[in-house]
Amino acid sequence: MIARMRMLKSVTRWLLLLMCGFTMLCLAGCSGHVVGLLNPKGIIAHEERKLFFDTLALMLIVVLPVIVMSFTFVYHYQVSHRVKEYKPNWGHSLFLESLWWGIPCVIIVILAVLTWKKTYELDPFKKITGTDQAPMLIQVIALPWKWLFIYPQQDIATINYLMIPVGRQVEYRITTDNVPMSAFFIPQLGSQIYTMAGMRSRLHLLANQPGDYEGMNTQYNGAGFSDMHFMVHVVEPDKLQQWFTQMKKSPNRLTDAAYHKLLNPAIGVKPQFFSGVTTGLFESVIATYMNSLGTVHPRNNEGQFYLRQMNKE
Amino acid sequence: MLEHLLFGNLTLEAIPLHSPIIVGAGLFMVLVALAVVVLITIYGQWSYIWNEWITSVDHKKIGIMYLILSGVMLLRGFSDAILMRSQQAIAAGNNLGYLPPEHYDQIFSAHGVIMIFFVAMPMMFALLNIAVPLQIGARDVAYPYLNSLSFWLTFVGAMLCNASLVIGDFAKTGWLAYPPLAELYYSPGVGVDYFIWSLQIAGVGTLLAGINFIATIIKMRCKGMTLMRMPIFVWSALCAMILVALAFPVLTVTLALLFLDRMFGMHFFTDFAGGNIMMYINLIWVWGHPEVYILILPAFGVFSEVVATFSQKVLFGYVTMVWAIAIITFLSFVVWLHHFFTMGAGADVNAFFGVATMIIAIPTGVKVFNWLFTMYQGRIILATPMLWVTAFFTTFAIGGMTGVMMAVPPVDFQVHNSLFLVAHFHNVIIGGVLFGYFAGIIYWFPKAFGFRLDETWGKWAFAFWVLGFYVAFMPLYVLGLNGFMRRVNHYSDTMYQPYFIVAAIGAGLILIGIFLQIGQLIVSIKNRHALRDRTGDPWHGRTLEWSVSSPAPLYNFAVLPTVDSRDPFWAYKETHLAEGHVHPKDLHFQPIHLPKNTAAGFIIAMFAGITGFALIWHMWIPGVIGFLGVILTLIAKTFSTDTDYYLDAETVRRTELAHLKEAI
Repeated sequence: MIARMRMLKSVTRWLLLLMCGFTMLCLAGCSGHVVGLLNPKGIIAHEERKLFFDTLALMLIVVLPVIVMSFTFVYHYQVSHRVKEYKPNWGHSLFLESLWWGIPCVIIVILAVLTWKKTYELDPFKKITGTDQAPMLIQVIALPWKWLFIYPQQDIATINYLMIPVGRQVEYRITTDNVPMSAFFIPQLGSQIYTMAGMRSRLHLLANQPGDYEGMNTQYNGAGFSDMHFMVHVVEPDKLQQWFTQMKKSPNRLTDAAYHKLLNPAIGVKPQFFSGVTTGLFESVIATYMNSLGTVHPRNNEGQFYLRQMNKE
Repeated sequence: MLEHLLFGNLTLEAIPLHSPIIVGAGLFMVLVALAVVVLITIYGQWSYIWNEWITSVDHKKIGIMYLILSGVMLLRGFSDAILMRSQQAIAAGNNLGYLPPEHYDQIFSAHGVIMIFFVAMPMMFALLNIAVPLQIGARDVAYPYLNSLSFWLTFVGAMLCNASLVIGDFAKTGWLAYPPLAELYYSPGVGVDYFIWSLQIAGVGTLLAGINFIATIIKMRCKGMTLMRMPIFVWSALCAMILVALAFPVLTVTLALLFLDRMFGMHFFTDFAGGNIMMYINLIWVWGHPEVYILILPAFGVFSEVVATFSQKVLFGYVTMVWAIAIITFLSFVVWLHHFFTMGAGADVNAFFGVATMIIAIPTGVKVFNWLFTMYQGRIILATPMLWVTAFFTTFAIGGMTGVMMAVPPVDFQVHNSLFLVAHFHNVIIGGVLFGYFAGIIYWFPKAFGFRLDETWGKWAFAFWVLGFYVAFMPLYVLGLNGFMRRVNHYSDTMYQPYFIVAAIGAGLILIGIFLQIGQLIVSIKNRHALRDRTGDPWHGRTLEWSVSSPAPLYNFAVLPTVDSRDPFWAYKETHLAEGHVHPKDLHFQPIHLPKNTAAGFIIAMFAGITGFALIWHMWIPGVIGFLGVILTLIAKTFSTDTDYYLDAETVRRTELAHLKEAI
């Protein structure tokens, strides 16, 4: 028995030590740079972080007592402790059982109402309310392990490089071409969304602090997945205008031929810049998949996805 | 032409001689298999293995074979985990680690498939086979031959999955093989076909086993055992098996459609020509979500048994326990969409499935409180099964909490596909399912093998497992909140590296835990005489399985029991302790009707394996042979009338007397 107690104590001690160590590690992480949900730089991400902690708090109402009770009961009622009370046949209490059906029910009702409200409010397809300015439009195409961003109103395009204004919402319209389902995500600005061939996803984000943030693909889509990242530069509107003007001077045009080159699988591609984009490129990419009737993949002519990938390796 | 009909796409190049890790692992596997074969031959045990194990239809032996399969596959699945953890611990900054994506991507896919299909599922069926018939006072399952077939199909599925290591490659798609990545255009190799056929064959085995156990529990209960007197483990098994019967056909169909796409150029799930990839993702989770409840419900059952036994107290709130299980069973079918809130389904759909998911937390919470109050005012014996339960409360509370958090769609938009998610499901699957199964294995081990497992080794294994679990998975929560995704091969930001190093240390601690478990097994086998369970009731148990000898005799119960309460053996001991045992001399034994062993299950499964392998490589002649073999063996077996026999009363009497002599 003594050995058992010692065992339990040493286990508890270890666990405590571990938790302390873990907390320190977390704090160390915080003092460095935190890039995800915990350090939001956009309206949506702020809301999501708040919701995260609200949910956490609601859940802890039940979870903490469970953890405390589990250790207390196991410790207190050990045979070796010779506790007097022992009710081997006590197996039912209407009051207690109502209590633990009831309290979780109340918590879940609160959580459900919150969830319902916030799910509508933070629907990625929905325009962010509260700003008068029309959203800036950016079309996003996930290509074999790189991201193409088209600014249709400015007639420019980039690869793996995004510059957006602070304080103005951006509407992303997203699809994929010649790459399996992917997901578009800028953690510090807000929600992620799947992107699929022949489909158009929409995502509304509003950055409220200038800075450089990382964007990425979160849905595993083949060998180049890990490098499918891009930088997001959130800048003041006038700086963005300057960039637009500068970009327009670039002789590099995103013609059909240039686009077809991009359909080739490539890993860890550096940013590229284009001024002048074939009109309706985004829509035509979606249409290519929607209208394909044959038995051959619409991009089969660009070379077999996999074979090209193999050749690269 | 003939060569192609025979060998299909299979050539010698399919064996990846250029990759030292794979060749090493393959060689190791072949050497171990060879060693086993040589040892069996040297000791002349082939007829014993064939007669007593391979052709056995005894549920206890099939249970043990499931257990061995899951143990071996755990080692395989865990080596994958170690490879991944070490890769991620190394591959920071400019370092790309030692596993290129084409290899790494197979590893995380195989890890998921193996751990769910060939570790957790067989371990669950091991517990069901060992405990359920004994707990309901039955002599075997309803269909013993089907039971043998189910096991061998699972075995063949696992072996196909292992074969992919050496011959060809495994899927590089993640464990659920989402299209269009899993379609021919993006994955032209044999990897996805291995995935399809190992799951298809094992899945049919699981479905048959599910039907078998439903029939067993509904029809084979002993006299007096009404539904509301069944042990909670049996209830949880019944509900889990209902889920199997409803969910696994969906898996079978989904995989079949994917196969049609790949083999015959159809367009169910392609990303062009009208295919619908979200249809696959919906279907696979219509199976996949119930699947996690198929795993956790029996674990809940084990906790219920273990908590009551080791608190020496009746289980608290039996009726609410049953209702909670029933509600979870129902709800598990209406929450699948929470696996892909980010699909862009719109707020109505997301909110509905989010709320439905949260509701599951209520019955689950009720169960936890019932267990806690089973311990309250009990007399707790902290034997190893109870230690696992103690650790479970905290891990499961944390895992459940993060689960509900991710059920809120906007929160999920942030943590979906991140390591937060990975930490969450390992939190519930290791901290819930696996801890529960470990508790169950230690608890019923004496009933299956006749001796207890060594407690000291068991406690050390427990300590390392639990410690390792926290060290390995808590950093992943932090990483996930920092926007680090799952399935990542390497990363440029070295800030993440310390967390991965800690996580790798955690995996190392778990590895020590596994070694200690192996040590525990070896030590226990060595000391089996000292650890022998003479009475058949090593834990002062409450239910029928403890009323027979350990290991249980071939026929389970010499006289089928009659029960009139929920804890029949506990009640029996309370009333009969003063009077002493009934002496078998006074009992009247009758011949017992038993099923005969049959090789049909094994043979059918082997033919199914040939068919699967042939379809993977497009080998038409072996494919036809395998398929005909399955059908003809099935038909031939139906004509066999030599299926059962009577064990004479004298043998029963002698067995029972021997047990009694030892017990006293």
